[in-house]
Amino acid sequence: MANMNMIQALNSAMDIMLGRDRSVVLMGEDIGYFGGVFRATEGLQRKYGEHRVLDTPIAEGGIVAAAIGMGINGLRPVAEIQFADYIYPGIDQIASELARIRYRSAGEFFAPVTIRTPCGGGIRGGQTHSQSPEAIFTHVSGLKVVMPSNPHDAKGLLITSIEDDDPVIFFEPKRLYNGPFDGDPNKPAVPWSTHPKGQVDEGYYTVPLGKADVVRSGADVTVITYGTMVFVALAAAAALKLDAEIIDLRSLVPLDVDTICTSVKKTGRCVVAHEATRFSGFGGEILAVVQEECFWDLEAPIQRVAGWDTPYPHAFEWEYFPGQERVKKALALVMEAQ
Amino acid sequence: MTNPTRLHLPTPPARPGEAPDFSYVHLSPAGAVSRPDISARARDIGFLSTELVRVLDDAGRAVGPWHPHLDPADLQVGLRHMLLTRIFDDRMQRTQRAGKISFYIRSLGEEAVSVAQCMALRPGDMLFPSYRNQGLHIARGIPLVELMNQLLSNTRDMCKGRQLPVMYHSRPGNIFSISGNLATQFPQAVGWAMAAAIKREDHVAASWIGEGSSAEADFHHALLFASVYQAPVILNVVNNQWAISTFQGYAGGEQRSFAARGPGYGIAGIRVDGNDFLAVYAATQWAAERARTGSGPTLIEHVTYRAAAHSTSDDPARYRAKDDAEHWPLGDPVMRLKQHLIALGEWSDERHVALSAELDGLVAASWKEAVTHGTMTEGPRLNADLMFEDVFKEMPENLVRQRDLMRAERGAK
Amino acid sequence: MSQFVFKMPDLGEGTVEAEIVAWHTKPGDSVNEDQLIVEVMTDKAAVEVPAPVSGRVVSITGEPGDKIAVGSPLIVFDTAGREAGAGSAADAGLDAAVGRERPGASEGVAAVAAPHGPAASEATAAAVAATIPLEEGGAVRGASGTGAAAAFAAPPLVAARSGRVMASPANRRRAREAGIDLATIAGSGPGGRIVRGDLVRVSARPRVAVGGEVVAETSGERSVAGVGSVAAAADAASTTEIKVIGLRRLIAERMSAAKRNIPHFAYIEEVDITELESLRAHLNSTLPRRTGGGASGAGGREGNADTRTRADGSDGHGGDGGAGIRVGGGVAPPGLTYLPFVVLALTRALQAFPQCNVRYDASREVLVRHRAVHVGVATQTPDGLKVPVVRNAQALSVWDLAAEIRRVAERARSNTATRDELMGSTITVTSLGKLGGIASTPVINAPEVAIIGLNKAVERPVVYQGAVAVRRIMNLSSSFDHRFVDGYDAAAMIQVLKDLLEHPATIFIPQVSIP
Repeated sequence: MANMNMIQALNSAMDIMLGRDRSVVLMGEDIGYFGGVFRATEGLQRKYGEHRVLDTPIAEGGIVAAAIGMGINGLRPVAEIQFADYIYPGIDQIASELARIRYRSAGEFFAPVTIRTPCGGGIRGGQTHSQSPEAIFTHVSGLKVVMPSNPHDAKGLLITSIEDDDPVIFFEPKRLYNGPFDGDPNKPAVPWSTHPKGQVDEGYYTVPLGKADVVRSGADVTVITYGTMVFVALAAAAALKLDAEIIDLRSLVPLDVDTICTSVKKTGRCVVAHEATRFSGFGGEILAVVQEECFWDLEAPIQRVAGWDTPYPHAFEWEYFPGQERVKKALALVMEAQ
Repeated sequence: MTNPTRLHLPTPPARPGEAPDFSYVHLSPAGAVSRPDISARARDIGFLSTELVRVLDDAGRAVGPWHPHLDPADLQVGLRHMLLTRIFDDRMQRTQRAGKISFYIRSLGEEAVSVAQCMALRPGDMLFPSYRNQGLHIARGIPLVELMNQLLSNTRDMCKGRQLPVMYHSRPGNIFSISGNLATQFPQAVGWAMAAAIKREDHVAASWIGEGSSAEADFHHALLFASVYQAPVILNVVNNQWAISTFQGYAGGEQRSFAARGPGYGIAGIRVDGNDFLAVYAATQWAAERARTGSGPTLIEHVTYRAAAHSTSDDPARYRAKDDAEHWPLGDPVMRLKQHLIALGEWSDERHVALSAELDGLVAASWKEAVTHGTMTEGPRLNADLMFEDVFKEMPENLVRQRDLMRAERGAK
Repeated sequence: MSQFVFKMPDLGEGTVEAEIVAWHTKPGDSVNEDQLIVEVMTDKAAVEVPAPVSGRVVSITGEPGDKIAVGSPLIVFDTAGREAGAGSAADAGLDAAVGRERPGASEGVAAVAAPHGPAASEATAAAVAATIPLEEGGAVRGASGTGAAAAFAAPPLVAARSGRVMASPANRRRAREAGIDLATIAGSGPGGRIVRGDLVRVSARPRVAVGGEVVAETSGERSVAGVGSVAAAADAASTTEIKVIGLRRLIAERMSAAKRNIPHFAYIEEVDITELESLRAHLNSTLPRRTGGGASGAGGREGNADTRTRADGSDGHGGDGGAGIRVGGGVAPPGLTYLPFVVLALTRALQAFPQCNVRYDASREVLVRHRAVHVGVATQTPDGLKVPVVRNAQALSVWDLAAEIRRVAERARSNTATRDELMGSTITVTSLGKLGGIASTPVINAPEVAIIGLNKAVERPVVYQGAVAVRRIMNLSSSFDHRFVDGYDAAAMIQVLKDLLEHPATIFIPQVSIP
């Protein structure tokens, strides 16, 4: 076991997979020699060589397409898109090609590509470094979508994603790279070394896709969330002294409906929280599932906490970011109705 | 038409009712273009991308440094493949018009592009075609019945009912799955080639797009990545002058040849007569050897003509002169190879007729067999349960549930 | 001037309306919070309604005899400067103060939080019970959560009184499972929404204030007496109009409904109670020893004085009302009549015939079988027929049973019975006493499925052990709901009852116990 922040955990995952499986290759902008702008691939090119850890042109469409071609030819590419904000040039190759190759060739061809990309705000990154576009990809059939919230999960999930023969879009909430963040920007940053999920097994292990984590058990209310909002929700519930059950989805596709429903049926009250914009956000899908499966157990309308429906602003970071106040309000509303 | 603005609007030379005019097509005399060494630097052989590599002259004689000196038996095989492609296309077109399949795309006039290149490559080389390269399948011996099953989306459909007709694939034949999206296969081929290089194998990848599709960003990505990594790939732009009704001017062909984009990226570009079987073969051979020996990628522009409509949904008489194809200066690939073989004394009209009949019979027999596996209206049908398979490697819970819902809708047990 | 519109409160048990019995205030009066302002009557009991706020009465709605729907305005107060008790602080924060309709919040809160002793504390307790247990410092809770909502500027909720019931999915399910019709409940949540506390309240049947006697008011025309008495003096030659209101109207409605909905069938049997009479006399003779006073013997009368006949011939009186043995001014245990024996024997018989000890829930089409036997004892009162309930009759001794019958009957007669004492019977017994006749066809007390009637006990010549003898015979005239009780079962049950009564010692043999 070792203290690892999320970056180190991701690095460890890739290190282990490069060592375990000769078909694994990494590719992306600045990831090779430089080790990645977030240091996620630090040291890996030195260790495994330039033919396994490739720097690429600044062409997200090309990166994804080349990864597909490599995947067809027996490699297991892990492509980094430097910021999720830049993934859009690659959407045609992701949605039209990568997601459908297995399907349209009746399983004769498939490309086991993992696309890793940092997402989310809280870092004063403005519109082009703060987006959470996961809902665009959850809507494409044939893609798996993952977002860990802590180093332990990040490593296990990344290993599982790389080993998965289906394409995986692996979102990394960059605000959580160095430590958990509870939404309060005025507090000094807390490192992962102080957190139990910062204790990471140095060897090979997996965390399954499609299995949510009940981060905190409780009886009053269910909070369904993922990414940075996991810690914001924990803090908000604690501030209200609510016995909240906090569920970290970890995997958006496949979605762990069982854990969600067991919890909501128990508490009868539900808050859904994500950083991404509200309208047509993934929270809408969760709400629909909860409404369909747990309607008769609902004591109150399901509340949704999300970013505002605006582009991500720079100067208004903390007014935009769905912090504890927004979560607390949702919790208050959902608890109020009898 | 005068244009008072500074906005140039490309116009084809002959609209419906106008006289065909192919003076814009730059031709070189057959055999006039030299053949550089396969390891020559792209920047030194720029001429190759603006001239026209030709082997067969107008009399059907093979001339010049690009002459591949193929065995007549191989040429006969090539002729057979091209003729079969044409006959297959013709018959499938007719079945579509008869309502027996829903859609079809012919490759009339472009048979050499696929067949000749395929024959110049090895079986282990991976092909990333567009939807107009059925000659590849035929040249690689994919049984006609299999292609027809796909067209019919019947119970033996290689795509299990999921794809539009003509979107074939063949794993054993090393032909990648055809996508309806344009140009996506181009950079994928480059990635495949990069992997071959990483694995230290000597396979090469080859891909085809139309000149119209070269406008897509994927064209740029393919050339860029091919150039950056010197990937062992052959990138083919099949310039058949038309992309549905979009004249090649809208792809930038008025200002510069498509092959000339290659040197712009530092890639060797060859502009070749796409209707000249021997020239296509020779150019491919050059490019394949170049790639295999680590001298990098090649962009080949095949200058040809889309003699038929874009697809069964298209009517070219609405946007170009009706007799355009007949005036194409570079003739017809099947006729020219036939003529060449006859000139060599290795073929005859009678044999040609006999071959046509034989191939026609083969197509008919294959069709007869294919329809026993189901058609659009009769016979066994694919189970709609297949809709839910292969979305992922393992069927997830939500799809199991949806499949059950679909079954209930359908009224099946 | 801030107005408070007080609406007819929900008095529980699915009450949809209440009848105004008497106003104790009028427009212009100043009243203090908690002061009695009006008496209303539900189907069973008269209820005193206290003022929810202090203030001046602006207007009142309805005259005595009028039926006012639960939730509709009853009285308007001017509360300038003064607010009501618990809960209204939250109301003030919302919009009750400016006469803007917030039916659920104002009247619901008033009803639940009406500071009327046990009712208020119970209702508040119910509200608390319906909330999530808190640790100290919690900020969000139930009724007071409206404050939290106000703090977050929740949009004002519009009263949903267009026929749509507002309730959360979970509460709808609870109501459905408990057989509560949501349309009959006024919600105390925002916008009239039915909250969990409302359901708790309804099913827990909180006690409301017990009214005083309903007597004829100053208006001589109004009468709540039975058919036989006419309050107003009238010329023999002229007619007198008696408004059918109050308890009489209720009785009429219930009788009609019972007869309309229930296919009655009668089963009449004669019972030789010679031995029972012997036992009864013996037990009553032990009374002086029990009381130590010079009590006279047990009123060796079957039945009671104070008889009035119901329209269908059965006697509405019950218990030992009025004829209890008075011992020197003190209260001595009354002598036993046949009634407690019959009731006790009935509880034994019902063990073998539980299908006769049910209440039928028509809305859910469910027969609710009860293990305990709660016996309704038809009692004639000055106001009319009432059926107070002896709960858990199966667990009482014959003495305690007699005492309890007497007690609840007295409460009914004196109009001091609580709702619990007037509701929930699983079977009813009606005794016709010395006016009893030889047979009768009592009307089933819906939603029960059986009623046992005692006819007059007389001495008759019968064939007994082969020879003609004089035995004491009392007929049992019973009616059963033929939808749910087959003739065979009814007859068999009465036969068992007969056996027990003819061999009264067997009544007291312990059998399978009913807890």
